[in-house]
Amino acid sequence: MQQRDFDIVIVGGGGAGLRAAIGAAEHAKEHKTPQRIALLSKVYPMRSHTVAAEGGAAAVTSAEDSHQAHFDDTVSGGDWLVEQGVVDYFVHHAYQELVQMERWGCPWSRKDDGQVQVRRFGGMKTARTWFAADKTGFHMLHTLFQTSLKYPEIERFDEYFVLDLAVHEGAVIGVIALQVATGELTLLRAKAVILATGGAGRLFRFNTNAGIVTGDGMAMAYRHGVALRDMEFVQYHPTGLPGSGILITEACRGEGGILLNKDGYRYLQDYGLGPETPLGKPENKYMELGPRDKLSQAFWQEQQAGRTGKFGDSDVVYLDLRHLGEKYILERLPFICELAKSYINVDPVKEPIPIRPAVHYTMGGIETDPLCETSIAGLYAAGECASVGLHGANRLGSNSLTELLVFGRLAGEQASKRAAQTEWADTRLLEAQAERQQATLARLCDGEGSGESWVELKHAMVQAMESGCGIYRTEEGMRHSLETMRQLRERYAKIRVNDTSKIFNTELLECIELGYGLDIAEASCLGALERRESRGAHQRLDEGMQKRDDVNYLKHSQVFYQGEAPAELRWQDVDVRFSAPAERAYGDAGKGGKV
Amino acid sequence: MSTEQITTKSVSTNNTSIKHISVKRYLPDSSAEAYWQQYEMPVDDSTSLLDALNHIKEQLDSTLSYRWSCRMAICGSCGVMVNGIPKLGCKTFLRDYEGEIRIEPLSHFPVQRDLVVDMEIFLEHLAAVKPYLIDDNPVKPYDPKAPETYQQTPEQLARYKQFANCINCGLCYSACPQFGLNPEFLGPAALTLAHRYNLDSRDHGKKQRMTELNRHEGVWSCTFVGFCSQVCPKHVDPAAAVNQGKVEAAKHTLIALFKG
Amino acid sequence: MHKSSSQRLPPLKRNWWLKHRFFKLYMLREATVLPLVFFTLCLLAGMVALLQGADSWQGWIAFMGSPIVLLLNLLALAASLFHAATFFVLFPRVMPLRIAGHSLPDKAIVAGQWAGVVAVALLFFWLLGRA
Repeated sequence: MQQRDFDIVIVGGGGAGLRAAIGAAEHAKEHKTPQRIALLSKVYPMRSHTVAAEGGAAAVTSAEDSHQAHFDDTVSGGDWLVEQGVVDYFVHHAYQELVQMERWGCPWSRKDDGQVQVRRFGGMKTARTWFAADKTGFHMLHTLFQTSLKYPEIERFDEYFVLDLAVHEGAVIGVIALQVATGELTLLRAKAVILATGGAGRLFRFNTNAGIVTGDGMAMAYRHGVALRDMEFVQYHPTGLPGSGILITEACRGEGGILLNKDGYRYLQDYGLGPETPLGKPENKYMELGPRDKLSQAFWQEQQAGRTGKFGDSDVVYLDLRHLGEKYILERLPFICELAKSYINVDPVKEPIPIRPAVHYTMGGIETDPLCETSIAGLYAAGECASVGLHGANRLGSNSLTELLVFGRLAGEQASKRAAQTEWADTRLLEAQAERQQATLARLCDGEGSGESWVELKHAMVQAMESGCGIYRTEEGMRHSLETMRQLRERYAKIRVNDTSKIFNTELLECIELGYGLDIAEASCLGALERRESRGAHQRLDEGMQKRDDVNYLKHSQVFYQGEAPAELRWQDVDVRFSAPAERAYGDAGKGGKV
Repeated sequence: MSTEQITTKSVSTNNTSIKHISVKRYLPDSSAEAYWQQYEMPVDDSTSLLDALNHIKEQLDSTLSYRWSCRMAICGSCGVMVNGIPKLGCKTFLRDYEGEIRIEPLSHFPVQRDLVVDMEIFLEHLAAVKPYLIDDNPVKPYDPKAPETYQQTPEQLARYKQFANCINCGLCYSACPQFGLNPEFLGPAALTLAHRYNLDSRDHGKKQRMTELNRHEGVWSCTFVGFCSQVCPKHVDPAAAVNQGKVEAAKHTLIALFKG
Repeated sequence: MHKSSSQRLPPLKRNWWLKHRFFKLYMLREATVLPLVFFTLCLLAGMVALLQGADSWQGWIAFMGSPIVLLLNLLALAASLFHAATFFVLFPRVMPLRIAGHSLPDKAIVAGQWAGVVAVALLFFWLLGRA
């Protein structure tokens, strides 16, 4: 068993993890306290799911825009279930982070005069989304990865799968990881640990997410007693490709694309987003530039009314870009063209793209304070895995890429600060925890289990999440999903892995990921069932629960792990210090209002 | 807006057939020898090679190992040899193949297991060329309190943009016989990335990178076979970048000569 | 960054290029040099013959007129044209030309190169006609 000591260990090599690593390194340098930083990732960092983000990153940029406007959009976009102090910090630090990316070489798209170009995005009052064509996440991730190579103090552990956090007396003391190539356990002792492991979109059958987005970090923190917060809020992106769920960016609509039902009618005007804006003249917060939750909900309504078309087995509506012209489409949305052509054989220059909503983003996650620290001392979380309180009940497109920069850096700096004042724990404490891990692995590989296949369990999980926790939810559906998760957790305790090889055993990893997934799926179902109102991405069809209920539910849900027993839920007050809850309105209805 | 019924052609999902896929297996902890294993499965027009591998993993043989993640040709994980040609599994469709389909791990890399190769040397080559913006004496240093971007016109961006689209999938290394002959050759992707920064109007690191580029294992090992550009799934054209790099390296040598 | 002593594979065998059509075509392009070497040697021999005197020169003329040498030199011509064609296509990728901030289309550069070939050939024939 390999054992190494680091000041800071970062789990996850996507945007937030890389930004945290660089942030920590810079902070240590500035304060002349040399620190060693380990960056673990279960894949090579440039494979991380940040790579698939397309549309852009938001920050107040133009002279007409204001921090207040970005704050208002984010708060109302999140249906007031956001931590307003956190949003305030976020909007004030967004711009400097995007400029920092530019200084590191990120190829942002430009205006003729050499300034950075911005585009429109859903739910945002003005154009404030920086972009690099329609591969913004790709360019950001590669820029961060390449920049991280400048720092010799960052040591990468590529393809190391983290099995558990080591925690002693309420403080994190390291992590236990599996080297995928060899199957050997590795103990990393640390003074601070940052989780940057991404979301949990793969809990659902139909999603835009990469195969690695399995919520590992969420489950690890949760199992050690950290609350998972607001897990019932799962974002359906309105435009995924039928069949695969591959993401078709919101930027298509930001650039002027329109949504049509099978009759060629711009149905969004019937759902409080109108009146219809002229073709090729998109207007912020109107029609196609409404927020994602509203658009996905409108799809569901059209589907119920029988006004959706068919593509293969899927019900679809259509995203029409043709009026933008070939030159503009190829300049602004080249990746979309490539994807549509490759995966559904449709050329967006010539035909409308059939699309349907797909699970895209986990608004909730590991509860942290405004400085990214969890309830375990020295354990931080940033990016999609965290619930710092930015997104509330619905995330606005292009806020998450900025989030991973702003809070990745903050988490890195905070971890560096802590590491400078903390000592390593006794190695024997880690070793004891590693032994328990070894026993768990042994049970999976050669235990006396029923031998039930993980594949069956996984399919049951994603099916139940989709049917019970979809765009619209019912008491009965959610209750059934919750029950299913509890049964699946019991069955999971008895599964066994066929592959007993030590070398690159991906079956073992899938099984461990499934275990993580089942735990957080239970938390998600429990939060959904207990939230007896409709807010943002959580919409109920049940009588008396179809509206927002600020009296009882202007509260974060917190779910706590209870081992084999059912998880427990508590409610937590929301920080509404700047903006009192108001009606959330778009289109003409939103005109003149506070938002 | 006209309200006419929209119809789009559909990638048929009912055009099902049975296909055979042969996969080169290598399980070092049970046998030192690689062997071929054949799988049979139903496919339709939308089935990608990655879908097929996932089908094998979940339904037929859970011991098959391979890398994958985004399944939309942007993460660069799932490169394999398909009938001898390097391809991304997620961007390869079985409908395009008649007869036998033979899947092997990427050429020119050591195989760890089944379709998984050791990419470490690729990452070392990447890091060697200083693939990050170098501007040691900026006109205006970055200040978080008064952040200011560089200026860069769309024309200046266009000069390097194509070369910034590399997803590090490694297909070009499997296509490059020079890398196969000498793994110390920095190779197409690393040299392209170096060239990308050299072309960036914000960068001043060309001189530093030249020590790596302008040597035998740098640009001069390339003989312009050009297969790297043929197999590149993102049309980055690494062969062009490497050979533009030769021109730059030659200029660098000449200038150094005259300066003494 | 942490540098591992990563593994290395043994280098490819000498016959690597036989495995793929693309590589065979590449080797063909490289092999165009062989008939060109023959042609260059012929020219060199001609110069030497010229220096040696009339007999030698007549011998060289006869040698150049023999069917097998003619055939080989025709082959050299074809090879050089093939090489030129492949090279001209590669050229715009290696030396993208820019005029007033706009890059010249590849086709124009290729056409320009062929125009150059024709111009040089015409000049040559003109000089030959005057002599």
